[in-house]
Amino acid sequence: MSITAPLVNDASPGGQPGDEPSGIIDRVYGFLRGIPTGILWFIVVIWSIPTLGLFVNSFRNRDGQRGSGWWNVSPSELTFDNYDQIFGARSGLLRSLLNSAAIAIPATIIPIAIAAFAAYGFAWIDFKGRKGLFIATVSLLAIPLQVALIPLLQMFVGGAKYTVPLLDKTITIVPDFDLAGTTTAVWLTHTGFAMPFAIFLLHNYISSLPKDLFEAARIDGANHFTIFWRLVLPLSIPVLAAFAIFQFLWTWNDYLIANTMIGANASQQPTTILIANLAGDFGRNEHVLPAAGFVQAFVPLVVFFALQRYFVRGILAGSVKG
Amino acid sequence: METLERTDTSGEPDDPIVEAGQPVTRDAQWYLKVVVAVAIAVGMLYWAAVEEKIRSTLITVVITVAASAGLWIAANFLFDQVRNRWATFNAIAFGLLGAVLGVLLHGNKLTLGSGSGFFTWVIGPLVGAVVLGGLGYVMTRTQDPNQRLTIATGTGLAAGIVIAVTIREQFQPGLDVVAIVVYTAILAAVGAGLSILLKHSPVGGAMIGAAIGWILGAWGGADLGDGSLVESLVATVVPAVLLGARFGMTTDPDYTERVNIDTRSRAVIFVGPAILFIFVMLVVPAIRTGYLSLLDRDSEEFVDGENYGSVFTDRNSLDVDNWTDMFTSVPFLIGVVLLGLAVVVGAAMKKRTGRAVEIGNPTVGPLVVGLLLVSFGAFTAMRGTLINNLWWVVVVTFFSTALGLAIAVLADGRRGERVAKSIIFMPMAISLVGASIIWRFVYLARDTSTEQTGVMNALWVGLGRLSTGSGLPTLIVTVLLAICVVLALIFLSNALVKREYGRAVVPAILTVSLGWFFVRFVGIIGDGVGGFKIDDDGTVSGQTIFFVQEVPYANFWLMVIMIWIQTGFSMVILSSAIKAVPTELIEAAKIDGATESQAFWRVILPQIATTIGVIVTTLIVGVMKVFDIVKVTTNGQFGTQVLANNMFDEAFNRVNIGKGAALAMLIFFSVLPVMIFNIRKMQQEG
Repeated sequence: MSITAPLVNDASPGGQPGDEPSGIIDRVYGFLRGIPTGILWFIVVIWSIPTLGLFVNSFRNRDGQRGSGWWNVSPSELTFDNYDQIFGARSGLLRSLLNSAAIAIPATIIPIAIAAFAAYGFAWIDFKGRKGLFIATVSLLAIPLQVALIPLLQMFVGGAKYTVPLLDKTITIVPDFDLAGTTTAVWLTHTGFAMPFAIFLLHNYISSLPKDLFEAARIDGANHFTIFWRLVLPLSIPVLAAFAIFQFLWTWNDYLIANTMIGANASQQPTTILIANLAGDFGRNEHVLPAAGFVQAFVPLVVFFALQRYFVRGILAGSVKG
Repeated sequence: METLERTDTSGEPDDPIVEAGQPVTRDAQWYLKVVVAVAIAVGMLYWAAVEEKIRSTLITVVITVAASAGLWIAANFLFDQVRNRWATFNAIAFGLLGAVLGVLLHGNKLTLGSGSGFFTWVIGPLVGAVVLGGLGYVMTRTQDPNQRLTIATGTGLAAGIVIAVTIREQFQPGLDVVAIVVYTAILAAVGAGLSILLKHSPVGGAMIGAAIGWILGAWGGADLGDGSLVESLVATVVPAVLLGARFGMTTDPDYTERVNIDTRSRAVIFVGPAILFIFVMLVVPAIRTGYLSLLDRDSEEFVDGENYGSVFTDRNSLDVDNWTDMFTSVPFLIGVVLLGLAVVVGAAMKKRTGRAVEIGNPTVGPLVVGLLLVSFGAFTAMRGTLINNLWWVVVVTFFSTALGLAIAVLADGRRGERVAKSIIFMPMAISLVGASIIWRFVYLARDTSTEQTGVMNALWVGLGRLSTGSGLPTLIVTVLLAICVVLALIFLSNALVKREYGRAVVPAILTVSLGWFFVRFVGIIGDGVGGFKIDDDGTVSGQTIFFVQEVPYANFWLMVIMIWIQTGFSMVILSSAIKAVPTELIEAAKIDGATESQAFWRVILPQIATTIGVIVTTLIVGVMKVFDIVKVTTNGQFGTQVLANNMFDEAFNRVNIGKGAALAMLIFFSVLPVMIFNIRKMQQEG
């Protein structure tokens, strides 16, 4: 606050003393000084209109939504009917929420541990080829996921087999775990795809911890395991939180991977597939779409507003995520 | 990337969104956090108790995490022994190796005595553990090379004989000599080569390679069950003796070497799991996709580059037949005019400052916008998936960055900065599917006989009604418009009279665009503006726009959704970059007489140029793979197909694996320059 305070005064319209408007032009210029603030809030309003419209419409019944724009809403017509309907037994929204959670929770927790090990290894264990391996890992940040989807789906559907040349024998490298169309396949995929970003983000932080700390611990006879467990993990809580939020939002909101791995298997579909399907059936369910969309967005929005600080940190540090 | 690291490593403070907020006390935050955490925990527990799906998921997670952690900690414990208790380490490590071997042989019921029951399960691994663990321990007791070689080779021989004898009859291999020779030779050569590469003596590598090759050739090349005990002995004893001899040739490591072993193994323990995941989930599948893209739709035969070729010959993905249309498209013409303006201004600037184009001089505006509009015109004339992707990249990257920068500057230090930025940033938290649905209602077009419920069409039809109407509202709007045009003119002439050409740019644009709008609105040219149509009998009625069905502009309306989301992203990063510009620099510029806008263009913008570069590359990578929006809104109809959606369609709906893989590879190739750029930058940073 103390840093920004003088700037606030500077920027407020016509705030400078001794800047009395004299002619008509100057007076208009004085008015113009306020325009940037006006433009800012104009943009903010435009930015919020789409979401606001969805929110208002989710409380109006079918006739209300079809009859007039949401800006004509009257308090008397507000109703929870849409929400009642989508939470009803037949809609499957509740089940899809569970599926989304069943994907997002493991896909958030499991990569954290693995990536934290690796980040520490890259930052503080001095092994041969460390730099090259790290650059190779992080360069995969930009790799488009599409490039791995087809073989992964094949692996989940039938395992991975390899025919040895010359011997003409087929050996099974990955057996068929019967993962086709399950949430497990989705979070496994997410775990792999999250790795480069997670390592990059955590490495940035862990490698910047003060070197003295590690030297002191070493002198006290601590080995890598103890240092990691007692020193690095507790100090890295902020960045772990940043990654967790980022990854949770990413996996909860994902559509491509879920759609590839689960597709038409209705009992395993997460919310994104459900509402995309609702949107695809040509208006029959259009009136519940705002409510369903809002329920889908509710969890990320809560996470976002509650933990914005960490989310922003994740974005700032990892802006090359692929 | 340096700006990013700076913000990240500084730890607590300068989160741009939070910073300008009210000074919340630490205690209140702490209290809130605990409450939220407890609430979440209770909620999760309750949820887990009620819902089977969540319960099983949580149990899976707990078991997976616990088992991995246990394994990981055990591995760490094992290698803790390396430095000071080498014998213990050797015994345990070799014992584990033996146990694994026992599990493989015995667990797969290849050996006599295996079968069901606890004892038969345990005996194989136990024997293996004792034999190899004992060998490991004994080898630490003697340093004499001859003794070591004898002990290790002897153990290998014994183990080989025991295994060969206990192999069940139906698994005894009928040897294929050719396979054995070929595999042994190939792998021995590979092993020797690797050893030379690692600057060791090639003999050791050759021996290990030969052993592995022998096993592969003897067991893999054989028909199991056709063999005899002798063949089984040949197949087993040779590699066992080779491995034993190789181990016998080693010397016991001294303390320095053991420290090296410790470090190297820690590296594997810490980095290994992540690398394994990356390999299995990303690298190997990516390589396989490249391979599949060369095969036909069922991955059976090579088709050379046909999959790639078809992308470039298919009119759906690249159609440039009507490219001349761009010369008649409005954006293209406006763009050409702007580029002409840029040339004129550039010539003037060249005379004045010696540089035609420079960040912050008046040439940049018309130049950039002109190029954008020209490309826009070109993209509307040339059609197809590839063109659409390019169009997406150009438009979304430009607008997201420019708008993000504008908002970051506008909001910087202003009251309500935190709220404004939160709202702009919020779409980042919503899924792309959710965003597409939100915008579906914005673009909605209803029958013209009823009221429009989508914002855009309501505005459009309303504008048409205003423009063609004759009531009081129309009059008021006309007068207001006229005033605005006159005001813009006054500013323009004022700036021109004072010869402040930099200041004349905005009024000039305003004058031209507002003036044109006024002329159209009043009906001096045409009948008016907005969504209306006039029938033959003169009646005026509303006319809507089907935004996502307008070929080719539907693309643009889909891009708007992406811009709506991504602007928050670039805003947050640019905002923190702007705040990181040292205040002294700006102060110094102001003391030297720079105005606010000069300080921005000449001081702040050059400082944040690197950050803008990072944002642009990130956006290019992100936009290149745009999928969700197109899939949900149009599914590629109305000329809006993009590579990622096309790939999904080919691979998973039409099950044309070859074509799908080729399209995926095309997306990959298109972001390859960015990847290479990133790698080189990281190498330079060291």
